[in-house]
Amino acid sequence: MKSSFKTPLITLLLIISTAFVAKAQDTRIQMTSLDHLAAKATETVDVNVDERLMKLAARLFSDKDEDERQIKKLVEGLKGIYVKSFQFENEGQYIPADLEPIRAQLRGAGWTRLVNVTSKKEGNVEVYLQFAGEMVNGLAVLHTDDKELTVVNIVGPVDLDKLAQLEGQMGIPDLGIESPKAKKKTNEQ
Amino acid sequence: MNDDYLWDKTGEPDPQVQELEEILGTLRYQRKPLQIPNELRVPQRRNYFPWLAIAAGVLLAILAGGIWLSTRSRGDAPQRQAEVLSPAPVKEVTPSVPKTPERKNESPEEMVAVHKHRPRSSTPVLSKQEHEEALMAKEQVMLALRLTTEKLSLVHKKTQNAYPANQIKNQHRVG
Repeated sequence: MKSSFKTPLITLLLIISTAFVAKAQDTRIQMTSLDHLAAKATETVDVNVDERLMKLAARLFSDKDEDERQIKKLVEGLKGIYVKSFQFENEGQYIPADLEPIRAQLRGAGWTRLVNVTSKKEGNVEVYLQFAGEMVNGLAVLHTDDKELTVVNIVGPVDLDKLAQLEGQMGIPDLGIESPKAKKKTNEQ
Repeated sequence: MNDDYLWDKTGEPDPQVQELEEILGTLRYQRKPLQIPNELRVPQRRNYFPWLAIAAGVLLAILAGGIWLSTRSRGDAPQRQAEVLSPAPVKEVTPSVPKTPERKNESPEEMVAVHKHRPRSSTPVLSKQEHEEALMAKEQVMLALRLTTEKLSLVHKKTQNAYPANQIKNQHRVG
């Protein structure tokens, strides 16, 4: 009798915990598998900004400054930004297997690889998007070079138009991307 | 005849009583340890209390989680009732202006409703610790955006090189 009561309870607990974990993680990529590379790297960038910090940070962007206002618009809807970037002195400091847990996550859960650029000089860059209907709900960028490994994960509705509008502002490099609206305007002229 | 023997075994014993004593003496109480037969099963009382406590705990956790998620999803409400109703120095009516009868009959609730429309900042002020935290977060966000756009720029550059914009224009129809 006892075991018959125990089993559904454990099942219920498992279902609840799975649902909570799924809800919490959404499009977040777990990058802890890369942590051991920090010991080999000459330079490490580790950014962990969750939703709470994102909201706090968004409040510091000024509404008066045009550049900051645009960044604020982009940042306000996001649920998190996570970056791990390692610069190595020599080649071969990391192996493809180190990236396998990341790739495994990007293979599932609705991720779509948008672009894959391979360059002998500048390495391999992959851009992944996760869609919720027609909206982009997550962005992941994977850059692997002989001496560099970078993983970027933006969680939440990423507005690529707004991201494109950040070009050349506050140290953000110019992407040379034209938003569809801007294109229309130039065509009209 | 003396009955003392019957009461406290003193006096002369009665042979009939003695005979009865001998017959019934076999049934006298004999001290021996209790022996419980092995096949006897004692019914155990089922104790549901720990499981009920766990189930109640889980339900409470779900409830708390639900409330937390719903409050989080609501985000920053444009106006908070607590802020609106906070006591503020009220001096709406100047002494020179004659009071209208409607004004006189206003209840305290109506007075508060009037002050609801007073423009106030909807975002509470950050504490020093929160401000520092926010500054650090802002720096991290900027760094992350810089890195992201740098990588996207690289992709853009490479894809532009691979597929120049005027490539289609320069193509000629064959045949």
